[in-house]
Amino acid sequence: MTTKPSVSWQKNPALAWREIDDATVIISPTDSVMHELNDTGSFLWKNIDGRRSAAELAGLLAESYEVSPDVALTDTQALLDEMSTRKLVVPIPATGGDLR
Amino acid sequence: MTTSAAVGATPVMDRLISRTVRKHQPLSVHFDLTYRCNERCVHCYLDHDDHGELSTAECLAVINELAQAGTLFLTFSGGEIFLRPDLYEILAEARRLHFDISLKTNALLVTPERAERLREFGVRRVQISVYSDIPEVHDAITKVPGSLQRTLAAIPLLLEQGLQVKLACPLMRENLLAYRGVMDLAEKIGVPYVLDLTITPMMDGNEGPLAHRIPVSSLLPVMQDPKLHACMPQPTAEAALAMQEYPAAIGSAVSSGIDSEAYEDLPCSAGHNSCYISPYGDVYPCVQLPQAAGNLRRKRFNDIWYHAPQLERLRGVRESQLPVCSRCEIRSYCERCPGLALMEGGDLLGAYERACELAEQKARLAGVTEPISALHKEQVAKLMQATIENDSASVIANSGSH
Repeated sequence: MTTKPSVSWQKNPALAWREIDDATVIISPTDSVMHELNDTGSFLWKNIDGRRSAAELAGLLAESYEVSPDVALTDTQALLDEMSTRKLVVPIPATGGDLR
Repeated sequence: MTTSAAVGATPVMDRLISRTVRKHQPLSVHFDLTYRCNERCVHCYLDHDDHGELSTAECLAVINELAQAGTLFLTFSGGEIFLRPDLYEILAEARRLHFDISLKTNALLVTPERAERLREFGVRRVQISVYSDIPEVHDAITKVPGSLQRTLAAIPLLLEQGLQVKLACPLMRENLLAYRGVMDLAEKIGVPYVLDLTITPMMDGNEGPLAHRIPVSSLLPVMQDPKLHACMPQPTAEAALAMQEYPAAIGSAVSSGIDSEAYEDLPCSAGHNSCYISPYGDVYPCVQLPQAAGNLRRKRFNDIWYHAPQLERLRGVRESQLPVCSRCEIRSYCERCPGLALMEGGDLLGAYERACELAEQKARLAGVTEPISALHKEQVAKLMQATIENDSASVIANSGSH
């Protein structure tokens, strides 16, 4: 699965979650599976707000973790894809964008 | 940074417990919303009155404070929670704050509409008390005719909504012989169950409920039952499947965590990463440890949780330093509870009869020859000493009389 630039991301509203130390623990009430994100994943999780696209999230990541924009975008897209597969995040049409 | 590095490996729960114990983060909170109840169970440790329950606004403020403190697992219980007319408001706020929500109920008031609302509010688990599969036995304990039928009728309504249901069966004199029936019933419905041997005094110290407790000697058939290993928490079918699908990644079945080795030398989670809140706002380390650390009408949760002397003292307790129990040779068979030690033995750090008897029985079943707890060893030594002193006194007295 690839992340279209015109898609923004939001947390699945059905989930329970908390930040604990540098990690984020997420529980899906529908299947009782517990997920854990490390500090980088938690950073992205915190910034997934229903408005930002993968590129915008990668920009924040590159700035905070001092990695190149290309690396940040690759990692961000990979993580979003995995979280999407696990139904932790859901894509929504970005404001003003389209979903071709 | 890669995807595999961004997600943690299992076991997630152990790490979660280690972290929260180390930081004293209140990971898990049991919040009784009311002590009022529509059943009158013979063994219940609560009165059934309202002595000034927290208002809706106060309940919402409490759970906001818990969210700020980092609580993830929030269990609403009672009394009977459906007697709170504001239950949905409280659940909605808990949902908004992203708690993992569990409920404990007798399910008498569950309707299709209410079950649907629970799902909408993100409730994950519902634990239901079932004392027997025989209506006469169950209803005699709850003192509500027809209660088993109504409770059982609620279970499919909850399951249809995708909620996890677990049966809880406290064992007492009245239903000892019915436990197999509850196990079979749970298997037939396809839900997990737990048998609980703990019957405690009432919160005010009244020992009335203890009259219903089964003597350890009568528990032998239960303790020997090979079917009881099934009481261990099992992942749901969905969770097991998810773990198979993502073997190296972030999935892990949510367990109670109670048996985690992450607690190491701590007696239990109480006061370390879990606590209990009464309907009146009193904060306790545990529902079974009646030492109020403070009241949420007068202090903020964090002030109580991090600074109450009762909790600080409790956090200093280590199993290896308990005055009697640390010397016990059958400690590994013991399920000593600090709260019961206080309520039954009068000493949070002490040994108490029931735990010692149960440990000896378990050790015996495991093949230990003549197991004896440190408490009983001390009692025998004292008795022998007293006998020797009496004998000596008799000898002296007798020799003096000749």
